[in-house]
Amino acid sequence: MRKRIVSNGIVIVLLALAFAIAPAFYSNESVLFQMMVFLALAQGVNILYGFTGYLPFGYVGFFGIGAYGASVSISLWHTPAWLAMIAGGIAALVAGGMLSPLLRLSGAYFAIGSLAASQVLYYVVSNSNLQNITNGPYGVNLAAVFNDRASYFAMLLVLIITTMFVAYLRMSRLGMSLVAVREDPISAGMAGIHVVRTRTFVWLTTAVIAGLVGAVYAWHISVFYPDTVFDLSISIFAIVFTLFGGGATVLGPIIGTVILYGVYNVIGVSDPQYFQLIYGVLIMVLVLFLPNGVLSLLRRRGIDVP
Amino acid sequence: MKKLKKTLVATTAVATTLALIAGCGTSGSSNTSNTSGPSGTGSATPASNEITVGTLYASSGAYATSSMPEYAGLKLWVDQVNAAGGVQVKATGKKEKIKLIAYNDQSSVSTATNLYNQLITQNKVNILVSDFGSVLTSVAVPIAQENKMLLFDPTGSGATFFTPNNPYIVLTALPTSQIWPDSLAQYLTNHGIKHPAILYCENDFDQSQNTTLMQKLQAAGITPVYDNGVATSTSNYSVLVHDIAAKNPDMVMELGYPNNDIAFLQALQSTGTKFNKTFVIFPGQLPALFEKDFPISQLSGLYTYPTPPFINYKNVNYGLTLPNFESQYKSSTGQTANFLSVAGYTTGLIVQKTLETSTSLSQQDLRAAVNQFSGTIVTLDGPFKVDSTTGAQLGETLPVGQLVSNGKGGLGVNILK
Repeated sequence: MRKRIVSNGIVIVLLALAFAIAPAFYSNESVLFQMMVFLALAQGVNILYGFTGYLPFGYVGFFGIGAYGASVSISLWHTPAWLAMIAGGIAALVAGGMLSPLLRLSGAYFAIGSLAASQVLYYVVSNSNLQNITNGPYGVNLAAVFNDRASYFAMLLVLIITTMFVAYLRMSRLGMSLVAVREDPISAGMAGIHVVRTRTFVWLTTAVIAGLVGAVYAWHISVFYPDTVFDLSISIFAIVFTLFGGGATVLGPIIGTVILYGVYNVIGVSDPQYFQLIYGVLIMVLVLFLPNGVLSLLRRRGIDVP
Repeated sequence: MKKLKKTLVATTAVATTLALIAGCGTSGSSNTSNTSGPSGTGSATPASNEITVGTLYASSGAYATSSMPEYAGLKLWVDQVNAAGGVQVKATGKKEKIKLIAYNDQSSVSTATNLYNQLITQNKVNILVSDFGSVLTSVAVPIAQENKMLLFDPTGSGATFFTPNNPYIVLTALPTSQIWPDSLAQYLTNHGIKHPAILYCENDFDQSQNTTLMQKLQAAGITPVYDNGVATSTSNYSVLVHDIAAKNPDMVMELGYPNNDIAFLQALQSTGTKFNKTFVIFPGQLPALFEKDFPISQLSGLYTYPTPPFINYKNVNYGLTLPNFESQYKSSTGQTANFLSVAGYTTGLIVQKTLETSTSLSQQDLRAAVNQFSGTIVTLDGPFKVDSTTGAQLGETLPVGQLVSNGKGGLGVNILK
């Protein structure tokens, strides 16, 4: 246990250090910021999929609701930005509570259900009848509170807290009970685990994570449309990054995001055709030979990865 | 074994950090139109004999069909300027060549965010030009403002971009979307249309037009018999067409993006519905797109907002005239010019005039220069005139026109008053 604490601690400290000092060496903070966004979202997906087996294709719904929760808080109530970030998390928590019946589904049905739910949230937010609240399809302009440096470190804070929570799950009774529920909910229930309560807790926690990430994202980009923050590719990227690295680990989503988002930034922009080819081949190889992610290569050899 | 495990964990952690730094070390190579001379330096001081213009384009995704011709128009301007020895830059007192640095955002807003930053912080471009439309421009607005970089915005007409407290944006090639329906409302009023029907998509571009239209119609005492919004993703308009027909309107206006316009016209075709007068936005701007899907006979008679190449401004005093542009664009790209290629080229002209006018390359002076020549030049896109405080385009207005067959198997347009 002590070794695991140390190794997890090293990963978290290195992660924090890397993003804290990276702007001193690389001035395009936007790339670093977006990488943190996907790292935090991938960790959110990791918690839900890696530990409970629920694949949330509609995870972007919470992200978008968080972005709009923060925006509404700033636009309507003129709250300070930091308070608006919390409002974004709360908005996602409320949305998560309303959508918690989705947990009655499983497998592909849950994936499709969550996808549909994210579309519902999108259409609610962009509805012109809510123009007085969300500004409907006209988008949001938070330029008055735009602060790229503060939002950068707010994102880093969210990322570190999220990663610490994953590390906690890896080492705690709660994490083990989640894995037990994922493997066999009936046996887990008979062993004294409150299946519904445990799943709901994790569901709401991941909703809050995505909500906070969305809120900070909204603060950082400050001018956006509903399409921007409810873009399905955000979910897809977070899921692919998690699957690539390996779920139910601290390091898996980090490896997946850093490598794949790095590849995306290196060749995806200049030569998208090669990028799509490489991405496609990579995912096929992964599904065929490494369904549990690249870290499973180490675990197969009995090496305990953080 | 324990030692091996420790080593592996440490190695993995270090590898992660290195990969992180490596992954951030680059953000795609640029697609440069002119690679002569050294690459761009600080935005306030050009490298020797070179002005760097940074822009984005989308070669794939939802905005590709609009972004690529706009980018091609801008590239044509760069090629022409460089062929003539460069732009006469007042700040340096000599001709400078243009180096175009362009990245492919693939219609992704998050990628565009990174790349606008890349252009400003890594490439340190002198001039920043945004990608097509409001969605891909939206993220550039705060980035440009934060970095105190003037954003030349060809077609991002979102109302929220143009505020008095943001002096770092200029809309170059079309008016803001709220202004578009001025001519349409006037047409309805002048031609005694008493029972119009409006069907609009729920997005910034179309809904703001609907709002303006409704205000102007109400002021004229006209109450539409139908005014409904639909999701922008709507692809089947058959039921909506029947709904509208049941109201017996004397004119129907469908306000959407090109895909919506096409789907609406397809619904008219498939249901056999004919309205007295039908207005759709984009056939006047992207006729080739519509001619692929519909016979000329169906498009003839439609009302639309015609733009160049349908409108040939005779009093052009800056840049190519429309016929010259069309022939040079055709020989350069092998494609027929459309409004978006005109918009890209016009943006290049505005950049050129700004450089010819500004006494320094500081972004504030560039913005002041735009105000200085605003209202004095007419390009092939019409009279260029911006709001001096917000940077919103007030000129280049769009009249109402009716499509007609030009007798050569193509479309022409009658401009209506």
